[in-house]
Amino acid sequence: MIRLEDVTRRYGDTTAVDSLSLEVAEGEVCVLIGPSGCGKTTTLRMINRLIEPTSGHIFVDDRDILSMPAEELRRGLGYVIQSIGLFPHLDVAANICVVPRLLGWEKSRMAKRVDELLALVGLDPEAYRDKYPRQLSGGEAQRVGVARALAADPPVLLMDEPFGAVDPLNRERLQSEFARIQRELKKTVIFVTHDIDEAIRLADKIAIMRDGKLQQFDTPEQVLNHPANKFVHDFVGADRALKRLVRVRVADVMRSPATVLADSDALTVRVGAGRRRFAYVVEPDGRLVGWVDTNEVDRGLRPVEAMTRMDPVEASVRPDDSLRDALSRMLGLGFRAIAVTDKHDVLLGEVTFAAVEEAMTEGDEHISNQPAEDAE
Amino acid sequence: MGAMVALAGATALPFVELRANRLVPGAAHSVAAAGPWAYLLWLLVGVGFLSAVAPTEKARAASSTASGYGLVVALAWGIGHAASTLLVGQPSAARVSLGAGVWVLLAGTAILGFSGGVERRRKLVRWAGPLVLTALAIAAAFAWGGLDRISLAREFAVRASSFWTLLGGHLAMAGTGLGFGLALGVPLGLWATRNRHVRSVVLGVTGVIQTVPSLALLGLLIAPLAALSQAVPALRALGVRGIGATPGLIALTLYALLPIVRNTYVGLAEVDPAVIDAGRGMGMSSWQLLWRVEFPLALPLIIEGVRTASVLLIGITTLTVFAGARNLGILVFEGLGQFAPDLILLGALPIIALAVVADVALSALGRALTPEGVRA
Repeated sequence: MIRLEDVTRRYGDTTAVDSLSLEVAEGEVCVLIGPSGCGKTTTLRMINRLIEPTSGHIFVDDRDILSMPAEELRRGLGYVIQSIGLFPHLDVAANICVVPRLLGWEKSRMAKRVDELLALVGLDPEAYRDKYPRQLSGGEAQRVGVARALAADPPVLLMDEPFGAVDPLNRERLQSEFARIQRELKKTVIFVTHDIDEAIRLADKIAIMRDGKLQQFDTPEQVLNHPANKFVHDFVGADRALKRLVRVRVADVMRSPATVLADSDALTVRVGAGRRRFAYVVEPDGRLVGWVDTNEVDRGLRPVEAMTRMDPVEASVRPDDSLRDALSRMLGLGFRAIAVTDKHDVLLGEVTFAAVEEAMTEGDEHISNQPAEDAE
Repeated sequence: MGAMVALAGATALPFVELRANRLVPGAAHSVAAAGPWAYLLWLLVGVGFLSAVAPTEKARAASSTASGYGLVVALAWGIGHAASTLLVGQPSAARVSLGAGVWVLLAGTAILGFSGGVERRRKLVRWAGPLVLTALAIAAAFAWGGLDRISLAREFAVRASSFWTLLGGHLAMAGTGLGFGLALGVPLGLWATRNRHVRSVVLGVTGVIQTVPSLALLGLLIAPLAALSQAVPALRALGVRGIGATPGLIALTLYALLPIVRNTYVGLAEVDPAVIDAGRGMGMSSWQLLWRVEFPLALPLIIEGVRTASVLLIGITTLTVFAGARNLGILVFEGLGQFAPDLILLGALPIIALAVVADVALSALGRALTPEGVRA
């Protein structure tokens, strides 16, 4: 889909990008990463010709981009930047419609598209379409920025540190929403960041750059397990095992839990919980309400009397969460296992500390094809 | 504060002067000459004082506004009364002129009116009502109150036909200069944002022009223009001469340049670079970016420059009579030549009024053209 062949960009004596070759397949997220000044942003901006290469060729969809008018090229490449750059004099709807308007869409089609996109990025169309950029928070503005880039449904998205200026909490939410949107839309994405966690989380392929040169171009798993050189090794960091957990989804390692009905008697508890010491207590509709020590039940107490209540929001993870989320939640609560629930608090399974340990050491096993993300 | 000024004007200074003819100094008469209207004046000054001590914000505003408008009306009728009574039995050459007290009273009135919040009222209907009533009351004073008998009105009566021509000439001159200034200044300001060398030259030169005294500039223009008109008959046929409207128009255009060029430059330069980057990245051409993004965002500042320039030009137009132009400046300088203060006023008052109207109107236009999303 996107191919860079021997691309070089020089500024006077300095070489910002040094004979870089890359190929990104359709529907893939390619993250360009490296320390500042490594040439990642220059590379991105050469793809939509905001910067022209000194030498080399760039192909989008097998067409040499230098052979097409820059404006036409750019209208087919969604563009998201860190500082967002919403037009302050236009409302949210008009901001989203910049490219559709350039392409001459009809009004009704644009209005429909605005509502679609706002819903897609998690903003209520009714409440947001008439707002002005200055009325938006940083996170909201960046959502609008993403919606604007997607407006004309370009096959390619170019994102230059899109979540870099957002606070850490919002950044994680934006990342997981981006992962969700990407699973839905399957765009070809070039994503620039300097945050290795973000890269590992979102990338299908990571291109690590230094001083304009490509150091390693591979899947996150390969980058974590087999760094190509010392620079990559150091850049990825000492906590590679922990980072690997980001790539594993809870759904891939969870096991079926021992459960008892809150309202059952002691005998059924024993049967339901099998040999396990602890069992999750659920309502008849499957909603998690607490946990119980089965030894307590042996003394004749009913689960509803013996159980420790728990708040499912606090004490459980979602199937789409990463193992790192599960691990940190376990450590925070002091549990050796954690419940997995859906968004209605229905118990789906549990993840044990042992399973996390296994994933950490084995690395390549259990690794999902999808980036891990927070479910809604 | 306003009431203090008004009180001082009403007590310490002469209200009107009775003179044997329009040139000689005359005898001062106090407010008592206003007859019954003097009592109303005192009363309204009292109301003005109330505005300083009234308990609520609303009461303060109401009393100062009421006394402000009321004083204007009472003054018109009081002066009319004084003129009619003082002129009884005098020869027809005798004149009644406004004394210093009237001007000080008017100054106090203006302070009272403004502290009542006139300038804060954006809604036309709210301040148009009292304004129209006041204007009607003053017109009535002309028709029936004897205000038409004061010296200023008689100077006007003598020159009624040429007055309107000169007023038109003044407007045409300042308006044309402003038009040329706009036509030249906006492109120059735009050019300055695109080219660093142009910027230093353009901003430097317009700045230097501003420091040249207007009379000197007019004088400097006369000789070269005369020579040019001699040498090129085509220009001569167009009316380009060393003496006449041409040197004045050129001078006015040059003076209009600085505020317009500078504000255009600043307005365009202040547009967030991220906004430009986003626009270019989405595939807007330079023209589309300029018309849809940069100009709308810079427009309020450009209008602000036009406002500054228009006030400046209305004043400087007065001086262009020295190079042979015909406008209200003629009245001022004839008045100066004849030592006829009321003739000076006949020229100066409309010039001031024009400047104030231009100022208010262009401020309103600037507000109206500020895009909603960037309004403070």
